[in-house]
Amino acid sequence: MIAVLGLVAGVVVGLLVRPEVPAVVEPYLPIAVVAALDAVFGGLRAMLDGIFVDKVFVVSFLSNVVVAALIVFLGDKLGVGSQLSTGVVVVLGIRIFSNAAAIRRHVFRA
Amino acid sequence: MSTNGTPPEEPNVPEQPLVEGTPAPAGAPEESGRRRLAAGLWPPRLSRAQLIVALLLFVLGLGLAIQVRSNSDSGPLRGARQEDLVRILDELDGRTKRLEDEKQKLEEQRKELESSSNQAEEARKQTVEKERQLGILAGTVAAQGPGITLRITDPKGQVQSDQLLDTLQELRAAGAEAIQINGVRVVAGSFFSDEGGGVAIDGKKITQPYEFRVIGKPQDLEPALNIPGGVVQTLEKEQATANVTRSAKIVVDALRAAKQPDYARSSSS
Repeated sequence: MIAVLGLVAGVVVGLLVRPEVPAVVEPYLPIAVVAALDAVFGGLRAMLDGIFVDKVFVVSFLSNVVVAALIVFLGDKLGVGSQLSTGVVVVLGIRIFSNAAAIRRHVFRA
Repeated sequence: MSTNGTPPEEPNVPEQPLVEGTPAPAGAPEESGRRRLAAGLWPPRLSRAQLIVALLLFVLGLGLAIQVRSNSDSGPLRGARQEDLVRILDELDGRTKRLEDEKQKLEEQRKELESSSNQAEEARKQTVEKERQLGILAGTVAAQGPGITLRITDPKGQVQSDQLLDTLQELRAAGAEAIQINGVRVVAGSFFSDEGGGVAIDGKKITQPYEFRVIGKPQDLEPALNIPGGVVQTLEKEQATANVTRSAKIVVDALRAAKQPDYARSSSS
């Protein structure tokens, strides 16, 4: 419950405060958000499976974000930034879908 | 995808499932999953795990909101790639150039039109000037300028229209430009006639004294009248007196109506 509240608070603060994102971070923000979403869905699934551990969630969340940003950074340096971002988004999207499928089986039994 | 056999790269699932935190019920695994979700949701427990997850989700929500906002509030160029931006810039440059060319063309056109309208204005002025000059000749406008006044007094009534006509011809020969006699403008088509002891010009009867107001060069007009055997001497032979007065300003203000010719048309244009 508190976790859901945290998400809502984050969205509200982001919309109201309109913080300025530093230009260095700006290109990595979307991909980091997608990676974090993947971690959240994984965590939700683990919770439904009864195997959720907060430490694992924290580590996976942070490492997902960092690795995704790193891949984009590397891609930019190599000149294949947009293609690599697309690849990362595709992979994360597949993972999000499979996790969502598992969650769905738990919640709807279907 | 099995619920137990998670792949090792799945970051959120530990190698050994730790189940001591959540009591595993004896029911179906789907049931337990639902119950766990409900249990995690409703009684809000302030545990370390909840707080940490809330913090991370806060960060996620923040990033999400920022990204959505920055994507939505600054037009279609934000997400465009570099090549696209370069292309768009090129297109804009080309368009600017085309518009500049068009502007220049239109300005040239405007200049042309202005100069042509200036010419039209000039032509109009000249036409007006011409109209005024012709109006003076035709007697449709008033005229003023240097000239003479000739006053003929004829107490015995000897002066006939032919003498007045002679006087008029003499004045014209001497360069008179506008003439009126007793309030009647005399033009090229004027005619004199004798009428019951008097004289009529263009059918209008005039009475003595006959007063000619003549615009022209006074130095030419006066001698033309005074030459020996000229108008003045002839009139004096008829017992009439003629006084010639030079004047720097003679006003000829009798007018004639402009008459549209019935048959003659301008052959030019």
